[in-house]
Amino acid sequence: MNDVVRFESVGLRYGLGPEVLQDVSFSLDSGSFHFLVGASGAGKSSLLRLMYLAQRPSRGYISLFGRDISTTPRHELPGLRRKIGVVFQEFRLLPHLSAFDNVALPLRVVKARESEVKRHVEELLAWVGLKDHMKARPSTLSGGQQQRVAIARAVIAKPKLLLADEPTGNVDDHIAGRLMHLFGELNKLGTSVVIATHNEALVRSSGKRVLKLADGEVRILENIADDDADEFDSVFAADRGRVLL
Amino acid sequence: MKFRLPTRIDWRTPDLPIAQDDTTRFLPWLMAFMVFLAALSIAGMFVLADAARTLDRGIENTITIQVPAGENQRADEERIAGAIAMLKQMPGVAGADVLPRERVVQLLEPWLGSAARSTEIPLPWVIDVQVERANAPKAEMISALLTPYITGVQVDDHGVWLRSLLRAVHSVEWIAIIIVILIAVATAATVVFTTRAGMALHRDTIEVMHFVGAHDAYIARQFAIRASMLGFKGSLIGVALAGPALLLLTMLMGNLGFGLLPQIHLSVGVWLAIATLIPVAAAVAMVTTRATVMKSLARMV
Repeated sequence: MNDVVRFESVGLRYGLGPEVLQDVSFSLDSGSFHFLVGASGAGKSSLLRLMYLAQRPSRGYISLFGRDISTTPRHELPGLRRKIGVVFQEFRLLPHLSAFDNVALPLRVVKARESEVKRHVEELLAWVGLKDHMKARPSTLSGGQQQRVAIARAVIAKPKLLLADEPTGNVDDHIAGRLMHLFGELNKLGTSVVIATHNEALVRSSGKRVLKLADGEVRILENIADDDADEFDSVFAADRGRVLL
Repeated sequence: MKFRLPTRIDWRTPDLPIAQDDTTRFLPWLMAFMVFLAALSIAGMFVLADAARTLDRGIENTITIQVPAGENQRADEERIAGAIAMLKQMPGVAGADVLPRERVVQLLEPWLGSAARSTEIPLPWVIDVQVERANAPKAEMISALLTPYITGVQVDDHGVWLRSLLRAVHSVEWIAIIIVILIAVATAATVVFTTRAGMALHRDTIEVMHFVGAHDAYIARQFAIRASMLGFKGSLIGVALAGPALLLLTMLMGNLGFGLLPQIHLSVGVWLAIATLIPVAAAVAMVTTRATVMKSLARMV
């Protein structure tokens, strides 16, 4: 089995509320690249939360890297999480740490040698255009700069699965292009990538496969330019309508 | 990328901003207060143990016989000599001596003042009997032996009331031990509540650390190191305050000059025991914090 992620009949509800995800089933191959799309409130963030082990499903089966997460002992979860890089929509940078220390965090929790931490973090921050902001606290950085720090933190440990929630939402086109290039390079190195986005143009221009989330269910759209064009359009039609109103 | 195993405590800036917490602001002072109380209790335990040893020694060989003074001193001396000879024959008696008159006067002076030296007052004769502890004769037996020869003889077995006093001293010693244990429990409880408050405050940061792959132990270590540092600081203050307080107490007790109260003697052992409170309190804070954090983290996803 070469699945990085496998969901089978997964359901999720918060407390006693309605199910936000119903019978979700899909699998992602190693080295795959998917965009996760869906109308606002469709459950994209919930799906990502399940994938980065922030949430347990209410029902169903989830496996990550071939491990059934319902039977994985708690002390082994950090090992799985280290294989996952996450870019949160709200960045979730640690406000008391500098940009350097935020990015260094995934390496330091595994007790990486400080000289290597320094080399890797400086290199990556320079790559995302924050060479001159290494010592800056998140509160002194712009939204776009914070987002780049968050992305650098997510990729510093070369994860096998990268999950990003609207990673290009706060950056200009040039930086967005560079970030997508970074994700593409990681993908070429074998990292499976899932990017949740509302950016229709970005998805269209990439030509990548799409995970469409609607009515609590997931469908994989293999070819949005041709066979799945109508279904892809339907996702953004609702948003376009909302904007017009 | 090569990773190495942790071989030492990581003292660099922690990933959790615990040092800026308001929740731990009063912890050193609470620890100082607890350690101060513990230091006083420990000193009290040592003093009582010392007093108990003194009393215990007293029980070994102290039976006092009072013989009322007669009209003729020479006749009294002969009777006393006879009584001593009889006592020395008695099984379990190691020795018997008449107390010099000067010593009897000294013993009575606190109550009678200068009148104790007056020849008008007939001072009793006092025989100090040393008995073997294992085979000590009872006061009644001595009384029965001497009464036919000396009228009005009074045998005072110190052991009876000394044993009662010893029991009381041991009880107080246990109370002091219980107080020290209660202080340790209260300290641990304070640390638990402080740690929980700190964890609630840093829940977001802890979650992020989990998401980047931090083990519970990695997170707990940061709380534990901080707690041990605060515990060390607090206990240092507590011991620093307890030292002068104990010296003052020693001085005040010494000035009383009242023989019945045990004298406070602060030996090197007492000071060492009190100094040990510093690392012990720091260790209690560290271990309690680690256990609290690990338990709380186990409830998270």
